[in-house]
Amino acid sequence: MPLIPQDEAGVQAAVADALSRGTTLAVEGLGTKRGIGRAMQAGETLSLRALSGIVTYEPEELILTAQAGTTRDVIEATLAQRGQCLAFEPPDLSALLGSDGPGTLGGMVACNLSGPRRFAAGAARDFVLGLRAVSGRGEIFKAGGRVVKNVTGYDLAKLLTGSHGTLAVLTELTLKVLPAPETAETLVLRGLPDAPALSLLRGSIALGVEPTGLAHVPGLAAPSLGETGALTLFRLEGPGPSVRARAERLRGWLAGQGAPAVETRDNVADLWRALRDARPFAGPDRRDDLVWRLSLPPASAAAVGARLAALPGVSFFFDWAGGLIWAATPARLSVETFRAALQGAGHATLIRAPEALRASVPVFPPQADGIAALSRRIKEQFDPRGILNPGRMEAGV
Amino acid sequence: MAEAAAPRPSPERLTAAFAALQALLGDRFSTAVAVRAHHGKDESYHAPFDPDGVAFARSTEEVSAIVNICADHRVPIIPFGTGTSLEGHVAALQGGISLDLSGMDRIVSVNPDDLDVTVEAGVTRKALNTHLRDTGLFFPIDPGANASLGGMAATRASGTNAVRYGTMRENVLALTVVLPDGRVVKTARRARKSAAGYDLTRLYVGSEGTLCVITEVTVRLYPIPEAISAAVCAFADIKGAVDTVIATIQQGVPVARIELLDDVQIDAINKYSKLDLPVAPTLFLEFHGSKAGVAEQAETVEAIAKDNGARGFRWTTQAEERTRLWQARHDAAYAAAALKPGAKFWATDVCVPISRLTECIVETKKDVALSFIPCPIVGHVGDGNFHVAMVVDPTRPEEIAEASRLNDRLILRALAMNGTCTGEHGVGYGKLDFLVAEHGEAVSVMRTLKQALDPLNIMNPGKIVRL
Ligand SMILES: Cc1cc2nc3c(=O)[nH]c(=O)nc-3n(C[C@H](O)[C@H](O)[C@H](O)COP(=O)(O)OP(=O)(O)OC[C@H]3O[C@@H](n4cnc5c(N)ncnc54)[C@H](O)[C@@H]3O)c2cc1C
Repeated sequence: MPLIPQDEAGVQAAVADALSRGTTLAVEGLGTKRGIGRAMQAGETLSLRALSGIVTYEPEELILTAQAGTTRDVIEATLAQRGQCLAFEPPDLSALLGSDGPGTLGGMVACNLSGPRRFAAGAARDFVLGLRAVSGRGEIFKAGGRVVKNVTGYDLAKLLTGSHGTLAVLTELTLKVLPAPETAETLVLRGLPDAPALSLLRGSIALGVEPTGLAHVPGLAAPSLGETGALTLFRLEGPGPSVRARAERLRGWLAGQGAPAVETRDNVADLWRALRDARPFAGPDRRDDLVWRLSLPPASAAAVGARLAALPGVSFFFDWAGGLIWAATPARLSVETFRAALQGAGHATLIRAPEALRASVPVFPPQADGIAALSRRIKEQFDPRGILNPGRMEAGV
Repeated sequence: MAEAAAPRPSPERLTAAFAALQALLGDRFSTAVAVRAHHGKDESYHAPFDPDGVAFARSTEEVSAIVNICADHRVPIIPFGTGTSLEGHVAALQGGISLDLSGMDRIVSVNPDDLDVTVEAGVTRKALNTHLRDTGLFFPIDPGANASLGGMAATRASGTNAVRYGTMRENVLALTVVLPDGRVVKTARRARKSAAGYDLTRLYVGSEGTLCVITEVTVRLYPIPEAISAAVCAFADIKGAVDTVIATIQQGVPVARIELLDDVQIDAINKYSKLDLPVAPTLFLEFHGSKAGVAEQAETVEAIAKDNGARGFRWTTQAEERTRLWQARHDAAYAAAALKPGAKFWATDVCVPISRLTECIVETKKDVALSFIPCPIVGHVGDGNFHVAMVVDPTRPEEIAEASRLNDRLILRALAMNGTCTGEHGVGYGKLDFLVAEHGEAVSVMRTLKQALDPLNIMNPGKIVRL
């Protein structure tokens, strides 16, 4: 039975109790992301699911504060009622991970998950204005605040975002929200090889048409989306007239670059959602594959793609104009072979793998010595006894 | 002040450290009085504290060697960019060495394809944009002063463009830092997003030289927009101006710049920058985007402004005119100081949630109207951040006392509105107590972090947190 505290004081008591008994805690919301990170063995599970509910939502302020266990469904529905959204487009990895629903706000922040709009709008981390948490020392503290800018000392809110629950138990989060785009239009090119497609995607940023989605799906991955050949996607969002004018400009530019005929699709929200959620690798045909998220400088994406294509049975697609590659590798391909093929380009995180594997290989990209030493010191300050999510990010952290 | 009483390194230690620094740097290590005085003060009213010596570094390796020497002899190190910070950040409260990075002024690599650039810490924001001139790209963060990228990262600086492009927090992709034990670490590779471990980049951005010396900075670049237009718009009263800002932000209009200058500030810049703007609460605006987008944004904001008592928009699409306008805006603080001979400015820096902005500014305006010191108001209001540039003569205790009283009232007002005591200038030693008032327990978390990452307390001691 997990521990299910009812409020922040209860969380503090649970942490204090674990400290006094010398036991460790697996911290989770609804447990939908249990499969992300290194496999770990903790004495008990601390579930935040009862810390649920929106504390304050001020649409005119573009700010939402909610308890960490509030489900993403509730948050997103609440925002949608007022025409607002989480601009970083957090993915719902439940189909990929075989879990139940998108999970909680706390889990989203702890994993710093962001979707296709990330290269233009920023990451989850960029939208976390403030938080409350209980450290591994059993101390309640708050960080950041309710304003978009502050420089009051060390940026603890950003440090805790993406720390996978290894530093403190998040209890409450304050996020900046934004008006949802009024309209969206996606320009689609078909049949392009990776290198020219990626170069067009990057070029469209420099063109100044302000794209908010730039993805390329090679032919091999296309069937999983119900498509027949490679797809290159440019998404423009905003007020109608502005979107139309920018689309016109982009179309003209693409023609000038010798791109194939442009298809315009209005209703491609499903397609973007599928890419956001790594649906191409969520199907039964890829069930046993390992799934990787690789972030890299966009200009090196084509070269890395070419190296991946040379590996047997690997499928992949590009997001963020090449800044992100999602890849699925057959289980028989060793993790070492895959990492070696990257030749040091970017960071590869193993997002889906069997528990046994996640216990034996680094899930996150191995860190340089200096960085690893710093990380350990930070961990020791927040959680000196190592009771929170032990080993989730790295052995010893 | 308590800070001043803190222990300084003993003469023996200093002598030993100086000898080693001289051997390493030759005439790039100085103990000349004028050089030390220049490095112990910033541009604010805060009392200066001279360092015992100044080291001018040329490379990351050299910084590492300097830090090693200082660590061996337990001598404080205060990194120094261009010294434009405003809360006593560079004051050598406990003596030690000022480490001047202005000689590290190389652009390491521009990567137009990845929209980023890596520079050495001493490169200034203007030098960077001059270098980028022919690439079609620009770096948007523009504190009023021509600060160094290292200093801007260390203070998590912002500027007039933050409402659209964010601050250093959102725009630094990676840092090369020298740790207090001399080790050199790169916090991230040039990937857009690092999933690797704790976000050390964000921890060091805004650490004010108290955790490390930043030697290289990788920042995001942006394509120069297809169209840019600026506008000046005067209002019947300050409420109308601020209400216009709030409505603009709430409607999600992606303005690039939206700056408020009150009547007192307009008068000051008219004199200082030789402009002839009507003396009234005024917004300076700029729109970036496609031609259609810019026109649409401008129309929307103009309509909002009219509803709020605007006295007409004045457009400037010409580059020279825009440059002149924004230079005048950037010089606002100097214009304020010039209102009185021999005076300096004391810039307050609160930031409040946007819906409370009108109330906060209107109340503040009432406060300062009753004061005997001139108090122009200017601000990056799109972020909820504004400054009262109080004009004080630091040699007159009654003026400092009055400014201090106004500052206290303003900060308490902002905190009561869920705001912050500093939106962009930082803590230095001027805001240590306000940080405690605002954050409580988090300050002890910061303190333990400082102790963990700088166990000898040699990095800019006495700033951000007291140990
Ligand atoms: C007229 C005027 C207008 C201003 N307007 C703004 C504004 O709009 N927005 C804003 O944010 N600020 C503004 N400022 C404040 C100031 O310009 C910024 O804080 C700026 O970022 C400081 O940069 P610097 O290079 O001068 O740093 P310095 O003043 O030299 O140093 C600032 C702090 O950073 C540390 N530091 C400097 N370089 C490094 C390094 N390489 N590694 C580690 N630590 C380092 C120092 O130790 C110190 O604690 C303004 C200042 C003036 C005078």
